[in-house]
Amino acid sequence: MKVLIANIEDVMREAAARWTLLAYFFLSSLFIIIFAFAVNLDIVEGSLAGAKLFGNDIHASGISIDKLVMGVESGLSGGLFLFWPFIAIFATAHLVPRMMEKGTVDLYLSRPVGRVKLLLSRYVAGLLLAGVNIAYLIGAMWLIVVWKTHVAHPRFLFAGAIILFFVAALLACAFLIGVITSSTAVSIMTTYVVFILGFPLVTHNRLAAVVSKDWQAGIIHAFYWIIPKSSELMGAVVAFVSEKALPHELAAAATPAPFLSTAAFAVGCLALASWLFQRKEF
Amino acid sequence: MSTPVIEVSALRKEYRSAFGRPPIVAIDGIDFTVGAGELFGLLGPNGAGKTTTVKILLGLTRATTGTATVHGLAVSDPESRRRVGYLPEGHKIPNYLTARQALSIFGRMSDMSKRDIDARTLELLERVRLSQWIDVRVKKFSKGMTQRLGLACALVHRPDVLLLDEPTDGVDPVGRREIRDLLIDEARTNGTTVLLNSHLLSEIELTCDKVAMLRKGKVAAAGTIEELTRQTAKYKMVASVVDDALLAAFRESGAGVERVNGHLELSVNDVEHLNVLVDRLRANGGMLTELAPLRSTLEDVFVDLIKAPDMPLTPSPSPRERGEGGQRPGEGPDVQP
Repeated sequence: MKVLIANIEDVMREAAARWTLLAYFFLSSLFIIIFAFAVNLDIVEGSLAGAKLFGNDIHASGISIDKLVMGVESGLSGGLFLFWPFIAIFATAHLVPRMMEKGTVDLYLSRPVGRVKLLLSRYVAGLLLAGVNIAYLIGAMWLIVVWKTHVAHPRFLFAGAIILFFVAALLACAFLIGVITSSTAVSIMTTYVVFILGFPLVTHNRLAAVVSKDWQAGIIHAFYWIIPKSSELMGAVVAFVSEKALPHELAAAATPAPFLSTAAFAVGCLALASWLFQRKEF
Repeated sequence: MSTPVIEVSALRKEYRSAFGRPPIVAIDGIDFTVGAGELFGLLGPNGAGKTTTVKILLGLTRATTGTATVHGLAVSDPESRRRVGYLPEGHKIPNYLTARQALSIFGRMSDMSKRDIDARTLELLERVRLSQWIDVRVKKFSKGMTQRLGLACALVHRPDVLLLDEPTDGVDPVGRREIRDLLIDEARTNGTTVLLNSHLLSEIELTCDKVAMLRKGKVAAAGTIEELTRQTAKYKMVASVVDDALLAAFRESGAGVERVNGHLELSVNDVEHLNVLVDRLRANGGMLTELAPLRSTLEDVFVDLIKAPDMPLTPSPSPRERGEGGQRPGEGPDVQP
């Protein structure tokens, strides 16, 4: 536990000293403030009588306020799922490469701490940094919605958990690349590619159908099953928050398989990173 | 010898080379033991294997063959590092931390409680003259201050073994002396075992009880500083009326003779040979006023060792082990040219 606390202290202090923490909260707060001022709703007896977005009237009269809240929150969840992992990875991918710098790694490894414990403590600390920020962002937006509409829709809060789950998988990938290359830049780039590749690969069956060789189709399917399911998980977040009958594609997405395979990717990356870090010579 | 704390036996480290080239041998079967409370110096030129040896002792690098233990525990066991403090060469304490925060983080990683860390922080920073800088970030520290903070980090959990890699690197002479005094105090007062890895020979000479000199990955010489620097075959002679004829006679007997600053430096085979020279001096009407064995510095021994041609190098036996009062010229690597 002391090792975990030491790593959390180290990661948070670094984030504070390097302005990461401040930038994180500045961006989140900016997002929250814009959202708070942009939306003006006129609610009469539980129904929306009028709505303004950035001061412009929008034709939404007659829509139930519940429906509107779900619509806004599901849209926000999807947007955050697309945008926030980039910020989270950018802010945490350096944790392993910087620890592995010559002259620094010796200081950590000369303590009576197993290497796997050290690496996983750092992973948890990084995830906590990302988690605190996602919790702040989603929590504040949820409160603004409650304040403006008097509708409390807790599913939006759980969207944060799914986003954090996805960030956890990407951070595991960043840690693995960090252990292999000791490079922050390569860790960030590779993780972004993994994230983005998940979107086109959702059509892996169609992609595999157009290639001429079986082995090529096999590679496409393998990639699909190995890397995190960006597209399906984003769909699942939106479906989960919107709480309505799912369209056909979303129903297909909201199955346990994308979650399980993404979790397997994270565990696999962490296991491989731990094994390599254990064997590494400094 | 006191209870062994660090034991290294037949340690060998090879680094693989690319493209089928032969492996690079960093350490080639070294053995040494460091007892409790000893100040032990590991000397050698760059690339001799000093840092690799220390890294193996910390589990940072694995030995290819051989064994290394600290307190009887294999170095692969993280528990072997519980009572070890380490100051790496060119260490980089994260520069966003203050001195207090650095000690807090490394103290926690050594399983210390917050209260214990807080008390120890004040005491240690006072000791390394950084108490006024306790809440200043490391990035504002000078090289010497960073080095002293590194030493404080190594000492934070009250280790009973200290492994120090060039601890006085970049430190001014006063700071160097303070570090030296601190290490000697740790060893004498707290019984801390210190393994000092340095190529600053004067530092080692002034600090350590025992030394192992590494050369090309092997222990080329080992022993106490006194054993390594003693040159019983070389004497300083101060005498009156020593003419050239007498010097020629000395040389004829097989002695090496040099006039240095008004006295003679004699290289003889043994004590009997020395007495023969004294007899000749007296027979020649000379008056002996001073005769003393010469000591070389550790630097002399080191340079001789490094310049020595490749030969099977073995730890130099002590005079006692040889069963005589001194070492003969030409025996072992730690001899005059």
